[in-house]
Amino acid sequence: MDSTKLMRLREWSGIQIIEIKTDLSSYAASDLRKILEGLLVEKVDRVVVNLSEVNHINSTAVGALVGVAKRLRQNGGDLKICALADNLTRTFNLIGASSVLEIYESENSALAAF
Amino acid sequence: MPKADIELKIPSAVFYIEPVRAFVGNLARSLGFPRKRVADIQLVLDEVCSNAVHHGSDNATASVKLRIGVDDHALEILVRDTGTGNDPQKNWLTRERLLEIEANRSPSGERGHGIFIAKSLSDTHEMQSNDTGGTDVRVVFYFLKPNKVKV
Repeated sequence: MDSTKLMRLREWSGIQIIEIKTDLSSYAASDLRKILEGLLVEKVDRVVVNLSEVNHINSTAVGALVGVAKRLRQNGGDLKICALADNLTRTFNLIGASSVLEIYESENSALAAF
Repeated sequence: MPKADIELKIPSAVFYIEPVRAFVGNLARSLGFPRKRVADIQLVLDEVCSNAVHHGSDNATASVKLRIGVDDHALEILVRDTGTGNDPQKNWLTRERLLEIEANRSPSGERGHGIFIAKSLSDTHEMQSNDTGGTDVRVVFYFLKPNKVKV
């Protein structure tokens, strides 16, 4: 599957923004992990993941977000999440990831938090 | 409503989980589960099937079998994998290690959340070894009141 159709990458003021265009079940979650790890290789240090078009996320995808956020923080960067639908918020809360990741209502507020 | 006993067999590959998730979501909606509960059912199915593919099968030539039962009281899903032999990289998720996996789960960890989600969001969760050397996971979602959907 072509990841670029599922996820759009753009940059604003040195911050990498990833817009997810698909539900994050197991198959798409592995694509997300590859993209995030690619950003680590490219030494990107600030990332915003926009989930406004996502209606489902599984623990593999949440785990990838948590793992990359932790690695970015070790180098002074961070990964912030924005625009979660209610059922995604429930999943993040259930796992406990809400206490690990910074989550914002909108992309603008996530960008402004850097 | 007549009882249903639906059997599916998919290759052990994550690609095939998404269409099964869509099917089970449509079925749950048709059975009258509320929207939030449909999302719960789809998430549990995704997690259980992901575990079967990643930790319960040697490769994509193996199969994951699903048995979906419906009666007046509940939607029941059984996911059966065939096991990974002695591959220590893959077979870490077993019934015997369930307590250890749960004890080690951390919000800041990347793994081990799937089984926790399945247990938390289903009304009944059972896990046991099967005669193929793999694992059966059975999850049940009860209707709030006996289902009178006409088929």
